[in-house]
Amino acid sequence: MSALLEVKNVSVRFGGLMALKDIGLAVCAGEVLSVIGPNGAGKTTLFNVITGRVRPTTGEVLFRDRPIHLAPAFRIAQMGVVRTFQKTEVFGVLPLMEGVLAGALARGDTDPEARAREALETVGLAAKMHLRADQLSYGDQRLLEIAQALAANPTVLLLDEPASGMNHQESAQIVRLIGELRTRGFAIVLVEHNMHVVMSISDRVIVLNYGEKIAEGAPETVRADRNVIEAYLGVQPPDASSTTISGGADAVA
Amino acid sequence: MADIKPKPRHPLAPAATALVLLALFALPQFVRNEYLLHLCIVSAIFVIIALGLNLIVGYVGQLSLAHAAFFALGAYVSALLFIKFKWSMWIGLPAAALITGIIAFALGWVILRVRGHRFVIITVAFAEIMKLVATNWIDVTRGFMGLPGLTIPALYIPGLGAIDLSSKERFYYVALTAAILTFWLCAKLVGSSIGRAFVLVRENEVLAESLGISAFRYCMIAFVAGAAMAGAAGSLYGHYVGFVSPDLFNFSYVTIMLIMVILGGKGTLIGPVLGAVIFTFLPELLREASHYRMVLFAAILILATMFMPRGIIFPLVEHLAPLLPRAWRKKP
Repeated sequence: MSALLEVKNVSVRFGGLMALKDIGLAVCAGEVLSVIGPNGAGKTTLFNVITGRVRPTTGEVLFRDRPIHLAPAFRIAQMGVVRTFQKTEVFGVLPLMEGVLAGALARGDTDPEARAREALETVGLAAKMHLRADQLSYGDQRLLEIAQALAANPTVLLLDEPASGMNHQESAQIVRLIGELRTRGFAIVLVEHNMHVVMSISDRVIVLNYGEKIAEGAPETVRADRNVIEAYLGVQPPDASSTTISGGADAVA
Repeated sequence: MADIKPKPRHPLAPAATALVLLALFALPQFVRNEYLLHLCIVSAIFVIIALGLNLIVGYVGQLSLAHAAFFALGAYVSALLFIKFKWSMWIGLPAAALITGIIAFALGWVILRVRGHRFVIITVAFAEIMKLVATNWIDVTRGFMGLPGLTIPALYIPGLGAIDLSSKERFYYVALTAAILTFWLCAKLVGSSIGRAFVLVRENEVLAESLGISAFRYCMIAFVAGAAMAGAAGSLYGHYVGFVSPDLFNFSYVTIMLIMVILGGKGTLIGPVLGAVIFTFLPELLREASHYRMVLFAAILILATMFMPRGIIFPLVEHLAPLLPRAWRKKP
């Protein structure tokens, strides 16, 4: 299957800091690709490059084989590459429905209200559509972010720590939701610190450390990778075969 | 942008609108005082200005201090067309709106790429440059001597002939019609999908862009439309007072415009209208206080800002709402 989204040899330099070094990735329809790594590894910068908020110093980003790395952020979203944010971003004082309409309006949907309602139903917030976004609990706001992105009719969905700050029950709901979105054919790139979420939902995992890709592969392979363990634990494991990055929310960097 | 269904109208809206329009058109029959009529005309002109500024400050959330410059620019365009080419206000007014809109587009192309204090400072710089041009391009603008001799044209209606509009009573109807037309245009704009995009950009620009809404595009629409309205108001004002001078570029004008929008209730349609009327009449009513006039005016502004930070419209509606039947109650 050909990749919907490809990142090719992308490097980003902020002054003297190399935030990303020669990063490459590809994600296909119906696939969940997770990007993990300690804080400051460059995960959000990678999202910012893909969605047009940061220009790569070198390299390119292709969507359906067309370069998008020089396009403005709103144009990339209109093409079908839509993201959520690490820090919750909602339209605070507006009713949920108004905020979720944004993406549907921007895509020129024939029935934006229906699209927005469907997105709210998908994440289970349809009953609260007349509340203001800032009246929702934190967990519901994270779901609202996903609804906002879904209403924009994306092909590629970039989720930046959707389970951050959530309890086990809420994390399980996120896992179910991502699984459902995968079956609908979305290509999903997931940045997440919660290893239980990552290991239970990902088809492939990429590990970044100090802006470099240090591992890529199936979740089982990556969790036992010597470099990955070292990056997460900060020490060289005495015996890599007996040490893995464990699941659970406490396994964060 | 996709089209959306308009929001349902308040059940009281058609009757209230008809009543207000009737009262406004009947006003000269009851107000015979020329000075009060003059204030009504100036109020109507400031309503146009405030509605335009509200699109920029209230709906897309950009603090533009160039609005008085657009107002003055419209006045100069219309005055120059009248003096150099004998074009009446009927051509001068749309030309002023068009040219001001084009200049706003050129300015916006540069400054709408920056935000916050940088945007504010550049709008101030633009206003100052425009004032310097009006002051020093003496061959065209006559500098501080200004452009006198502007007149109010007659209105030709087939079958009725020429109607003289130079009396205050008749010019009131011209200003009122222009204000109502501007209000209707703003209502259509903010009720459309473009208006929804304005609010989304104001509330969270980064998020709006990440969902496919171009903040630059919608800020530009608001900036150009608001400037064109200020330009049209400038043309009306110039022909009404008969004289245009660089004083129109003074910073005090943009200050009063902002007071009208912010203390009226930015981001609403009615708020800036109320603000324009109240803050045109208030300084005049305070003339009774003689030397203490501006002190009292400043005190009222401070108190209004402290106790009505969202503008006059919100507490007004909250106090009026309990008087209405339950089904008619709705927040602005």
